[in-house]
Amino acid sequence: MSSASFPPARLPLPRELLLITDELQSPADFLLFRGVFAHLKDTKNARCVVASVSGDETIWRAMAGKMSVNYAQCLASQRLVYLDAMAHADVGAMSPSLVSLFRALQDTLDAQLSDPDAPTLLVLDDIAALEWMGVSELEVSRFARAIYALCRKTNAALILRHHVVTPGEPDDLLRHLLQLCTYHLDVFPLSSGRSGAVHGQIALHTGPGVAGSHKLITRTAALQYRLTDSGAVFFDRGTGGGVL
Amino acid sequence: MSSFRRKTTSKSSSVPTGTRVSPGSTSTIVTSTGIPSLDDILGGGLPLSCSLLVLAPDAHSAYGELVQKYFVAQGLAAGQRICVIDSHAKDFLAECMWTPTGTLGQTAAADEEEDERKDEGDAKIKIAWRYEQMKQFRTTVPTSPQSAEDYCRVFDLTCRVPESVLATARKNGQIIELDVSSGFDSGPRKILGDLAGILADDAKETTSPKPLRVCIPSLGSFQWGDVSTQEICQFLHGLRTLLRRYPHACASVSLPPHLCLESWGGSGWIQKLGWLSDASITLSAFTADPSLSAMFSSHHGFVHIHSLPSPHTLLPSSDKFSTLRGLSSSGENNLAFKCMRKRFVIETLHLDLEGGVGDRRTTPATNTLVLESAVHTHGATPSSAADGSEASTKGGAAVEVRIEQLEAAIDTVTVTEPKQEQPESAFKKSKAKKKVAFHSDRPDLYDF
Repeated sequence: MSSASFPPARLPLPRELLLITDELQSPADFLLFRGVFAHLKDTKNARCVVASVSGDETIWRAMAGKMSVNYAQCLASQRLVYLDAMAHADVGAMSPSLVSLFRALQDTLDAQLSDPDAPTLLVLDDIAALEWMGVSELEVSRFARAIYALCRKTNAALILRHHVVTPGEPDDLLRHLLQLCTYHLDVFPLSSGRSGAVHGQIALHTGPGVAGSHKLITRTAALQYRLTDSGAVFFDRGTGGGVL
Repeated sequence: MSSFRRKTTSKSSSVPTGTRVSPGSTSTIVTSTGIPSLDDILGGGLPLSCSLLVLAPDAHSAYGELVQKYFVAQGLAAGQRICVIDSHAKDFLAECMWTPTGTLGQTAAADEEEDERKDEGDAKIKIAWRYEQMKQFRTTVPTSPQSAEDYCRVFDLTCRVPESVLATARKNGQIIELDVSSGFDSGPRKILGDLAGILADDAKETTSPKPLRVCIPSLGSFQWGDVSTQEICQFLHGLRTLLRRYPHACASVSLPPHLCLESWGGSGWIQKLGWLSDASITLSAFTADPSLSAMFSSHHGFVHIHSLPSPHTLLPSSDKFSTLRGLSSSGENNLAFKCMRKRFVIETLHLDLEGGVGDRRTTPATNTLVLESAVHTHGATPSSAADGSEASTKGGAAVEVRIEQLEAAIDTVTVTEPKQEQPESAFKKSKAKKKVAFHSDRPDLYDF
């Protein structure tokens, strides 16, 4: 895939799960912002639900302004719903459960179903932090599976973001998510460290048993990107494209 | 009068004391950590509503605590409010550094003069004309100019904060001390609850409350009870959520040394901590590894950056504006810190001259001096080697033990032998110039 056609349009499609993994040196926030705001701009009746575990609404508001989306208007018209996941998940309990968070998401998605033709996108940001804060791996992976089932039922597309803290050694939760996903966007830093011109690299893999309609990108031929104030510029490796 | 007028922002007057607008984003207000070089790395300072995590995994030093003390001292000096969360908050506050007595500008100037004097020796070296006009090479950022003194004061590690300053600050309600280990239901959750109460009260009182610095010198130390990794994660996550809700506060947190290691928190622990705080750096001191301190003798440890604050932007403002990291021009610089008698600085780390040799060899090569001394002692040493017993009776520093004398004699023989030859070889070298000739008729083509 060339840099011009990235990120591919219509990724993920309804009833598909796109897993985005990133590392501390190369956070994938820009892909989430792009995914949500491009979806909202795509069609007039598009709807989006963002459930964030460790993010905050301030940056969503700030980035909406930069990507020319009227955030307040979207909120008022219920086209965009921002949900603080931690308000519904009591991780401090003896045996933390994510059932209440699931119910909250279910209610929100059901409310969106008033217009069945409206393309709906659900974004669940930072599923890894739930595990770090004491929710058992089993509970988190069950939750992910339940959310995906919910999305298929309600004809919604799902984006899950997971942080990789041990590059090269996928943990159990990541293995489970990889089994579940339709596509996997793999964002990773340059092996040579931070650079002023290149902020990281992106590879696109397909999930198991999926005949992908999008052209995949291997890790060895990963696309590189540079962050700007209002998004990212993608380019092929090397000095091609007149970017560097 | 020129028709061009400089645009002045009306916001500059409304910024609270000791803060300024971030160079990267007008909606972000930053405050100083008290260390100019750390401010530079953070992109101007620590933004309000953000948390900074300083990890210092070395158990033999307390650089993490030192950074916290700078953070508190700067808050006191700038007239901001401070909340120290620790069981020994009083002692911690009393140990903070302070600005040197006398006017601030003078001391800063005096310090710089001292540095210049040190460099005078180097300045005498004749520099090639094409490099003479170049700016002097700097490894760190200068201390704040006088106009910005309120933003970041110049602290002196040899000065302690006066009792009177602390007493007045306590009287004015500038200092809040939260005891960690009070009562049965103590622990991270209760502390977060207390802090939420304080912040909510602030927000209730006025619409634009004074900035509050939350300082936690050792989160998870024994005073906090038996904390697990999950509790630390929950606390950091909760703290960040609180700060976002009440954006007039910022926090600086340190962990005790043993909690800063992956051996305690499991694999990926440092990365997890980095994700759960806005900015996180590691100060890994050399004290545990003598080979490192020998290699980088002018520094005391490495600085590793894990994450940097960007509360309103995609790109941390540090990427654009940090001089020390130097990302605007090329790849990221390696950073190291050193703690001098008066201040703590973070610098760019370079290999020394001649690939890692500690001292500068710009003076005449040392081997010529050695040769001269060898020439002088040439006559005296062989005689002592030949009849050691005589030398010992004549010499002022006589050694009584005979076996050692013999050994010493053997040593001197082995050492002096090459010395006898060296002057001759040096003499030869200076006389005969190297010649390279090409002979086509010989089997070995080059003749030297």
